[in-house]
Amino acid sequence: MWKRGFTHNDSPFTLLRIHMAKRVVVTGIGIVSPIGIGIENYWSNLLKGVCGIRPISSFDASGFAATVAGQVPEYKIGDYVPKSYRKATKVMARDIELAVIAADEAFKNAGLKSQAYANPSEIDGLRFGCNIGAGLISAELDELTSAMHVARDGNRLDLHKWGIEGMQQLTPLWLLKYLPNMLACHVTIIHGLMGPSNTITCADASSHLAIGEAFRTIQRGKAELAICGGAESRVNPMGIMRYQLLNRLNTCRGVDPSQALKPFDVQATGTVVGEGGGLLILEEYEHAKSRGATIYAELAGFAASQDTYKLTEPDPTGRSYGKAVENALKDARSTPQQVDLLIPHGLGIPSHDRAELEGLKKGLGEHLSRIPVSAIKAQISQLGAGCGVDVATAVLSIHHQTVPPAINTRQTGDIRLNVSDQSRKAPVRTVLTTVYSLGGQNAALVFKAPDEAQ
Amino acid sequence: MNRVVITGMGWITPMGHEIESVWKGLLTGQTGIDYTTLFDASTFPTRISAEVKGFELKKHLGNEIQQHEGAGRSTQFALAACRQAWEMAGLRSDTLDLDRVGIYFASGEGSLDFQAYTQSALSSWQPDSGKIDAVLWAQSAARLMDAIREIEQEPNAALPHLAMLTGARGPALNCLTACAASTQAIGEATEILRRGDAEVMISGGAHSMIHPFGVTGFNRLTALAENEKLKSVLGEDNPRRASRPFDNNRGGFVLGEGSGVVILETLEHAQKRGARILAEIVGYGSTADAYRITDQHPDGTGAVVAMKEALKDAGLSPSQVNYINAHGTGTRENDGNETGAIKQVFGDHAKRIPVSSIKSMMGHLIAAAGAVELIACVLSIRDQILPPTMNLETPDPECDLDYVPNKARPACVEVAMSNSFGFGGQNDTIIVRRFI
Repeated sequence: MWKRGFTHNDSPFTLLRIHMAKRVVVTGIGIVSPIGIGIENYWSNLLKGVCGIRPISSFDASGFAATVAGQVPEYKIGDYVPKSYRKATKVMARDIELAVIAADEAFKNAGLKSQAYANPSEIDGLRFGCNIGAGLISAELDELTSAMHVARDGNRLDLHKWGIEGMQQLTPLWLLKYLPNMLACHVTIIHGLMGPSNTITCADASSHLAIGEAFRTIQRGKAELAICGGAESRVNPMGIMRYQLLNRLNTCRGVDPSQALKPFDVQATGTVVGEGGGLLILEEYEHAKSRGATIYAELAGFAASQDTYKLTEPDPTGRSYGKAVENALKDARSTPQQVDLLIPHGLGIPSHDRAELEGLKKGLGEHLSRIPVSAIKAQISQLGAGCGVDVATAVLSIHHQTVPPAINTRQTGDIRLNVSDQSRKAPVRTVLTTVYSLGGQNAALVFKAPDEAQ
Repeated sequence: MNRVVITGMGWITPMGHEIESVWKGLLTGQTGIDYTTLFDASTFPTRISAEVKGFELKKHLGNEIQQHEGAGRSTQFALAACRQAWEMAGLRSDTLDLDRVGIYFASGEGSLDFQAYTQSALSSWQPDSGKIDAVLWAQSAARLMDAIREIEQEPNAALPHLAMLTGARGPALNCLTACAASTQAIGEATEILRRGDAEVMISGGAHSMIHPFGVTGFNRLTALAENEKLKSVLGEDNPRRASRPFDNNRGGFVLGEGSGVVILETLEHAQKRGARILAEIVGYGSTADAYRITDQHPDGTGAVVAMKEALKDAGLSPSQVNYINAHGTGTRENDGNETGAIKQVFGDHAKRIPVSSIKSMMGHLIAAAGAVELIACVLSIRDQILPPTMNLETPDPECDLDYVPNKARPACVEVAMSNSFGFGGQNDTIIVRRFI
């Protein structure tokens, strides 16, 4: 254990804690993405270089700066919840549905028979935590405007009328559709999870942070299992408009959508928003072993940091981002040298990509140009709190010993990256995935091949 | 595992903008609740709320306001509360290892840009199809909405502001678990310090839902005290009598707004710099009810386990707890369930532990409630006095604990517990102890 490279800050108590910390492995995965619902669809499309960015079909987007997005294929939410729970799907915002679908797969994938699949439940709900990241859920405009219409005074909302006859148009449970903690809430109710529960709301960094926090919860022995990650849908007028106002969107006019998002490429012209969710089942190692679970990977390191630059841009020096990378590797007792694959955020926004590369360079040094990089946003778009898909990808890369492609990253400017538009088989023993949010939260997670950590 | 102590506290509340005056108000049964002025609520079922009054960020930040002028209302509260806490702790950015200073906050979503939002929606509404015309909406929204006003609504928007104010570059997270959020944030911040991933954590919460759609949401859920119902039960809708935790005539909570911020440090870090230690955080428990999205578990299982976990974490027996600052919202459901849960955890001792709810005076600050209530617990330990539950006039047979009715009470307080329960069955409990 002394190999970890302790800092002078480590007190004897800290050393003891690290020694006693439980080991945590991934035993289940659930994915909902623009290139497929379910691990198998997702993974095969990812490796084939399929792009999920297409013209927006859920509303007429011709008046927006961008008319394309990463949309999840059609689904029926009723197929993913127990019969007795179908009624409750009426009060699920789309973000919640995505989380519920991913959770259903994750449980099945992990072979865990919660109360959703067995009576009585075969899991110990009190020792099962939940930490699902969420975004700022946009109220459905049609539903709310339909109520406002009753109380309108021209194009103004007349609050007098609203109080008397407008608000009554809304379903009594209206508010509960949009509370960010309702993702975790529905998942805990469906599966009967009563352990430590949390909801991280840090935009794009939410999933990584939620997974990191669930990791700590199991490490300190407060639960044996946790479902964690995040989900979000920005494919709605408000979601797209927020990015349009910030001038971050790729207008994509006259361009093949599958060529639109170019992470780290010198020709990058902006991001494409999307929707999706990625959840993991984390499990204490001995617990997983004793029930004979399939172990996909070990979650070995986590760190987070904050920029102090400004609200709308990442710190161009990448200082804090680099620190998160450095600390996550240290936490995993790994070195940059050992990293076999990097799954960064890579949004295709030039100033953001530059800042991210600066940060990665600070954390990885010269190894940044060696480590294969999978820049998967080119295929799945920017999923906000749904970036748990990135984390699931990191885990699957280890499981399949395969490096997913970076289909639109060809020329990267000063900092050379090891990218290929083809997936390839390779020894993948240690994977780093990093993320930042608008608002300056940075997070890094390190996964290792299961046998690596015996 | 590091011990974790509180060395600074600050709040912006409906009862005032600094620690001592608000504390005095809480001990003398003042109220922060009045008729709603932030918008025209005159036809809403609920026309009362606990607004923060007379707040100006400039008074708190002086010239440093520049970077923060675009901040949303609740983020402004957070900035002012953070400044107070930072100063009370005697921290200086130039003497800290800022990579080891983190933030774990519970900021709610910001208020909608109401005019732009409603106008865009209404001007593009197509009554025949029952849908908005997305093309018209986009034109209107692009013209009326503002990028910064939109981004400041994100629940993580408080983090960069607090980071810029203090220089904090360590782990930064925002959790939003409804009414339990800031208790959760403080609990999780404690865990980060215990583990040694930071030396100082800024924690707490900030929220304002006193806007038309916020009140609408809670009114539709029938969660709020309503004026006509108050009149029929009390003969008047006097705002100061509206929030009635544990009273038999309670009818819902009163929506408040504000922020509470605490500075947490590892004991080692606090002692090394000679900081004044206000209290120690000794226990934290978090659970989910996994029951229903609308209701708490009637058996109180989730709340019971949260309290038990916190006690176990603190290594304390139930009889060592001297005071419980209840979630005590004043809804029929919560107060009965919480009372039952306390009895399950504390057994015979339950009737001997004073339990009070400052929401009777402060209103319910939603994501910020737990932080403000934890600060009250620390002040109780400091001054050996308990804030009362006001408006407790008619006992409810189901609520039969000692709620410190209507008058503050001197008491020996070494250990205090603070409960927070959120919509969706989120339960969090924190235990603080006099530092010895």
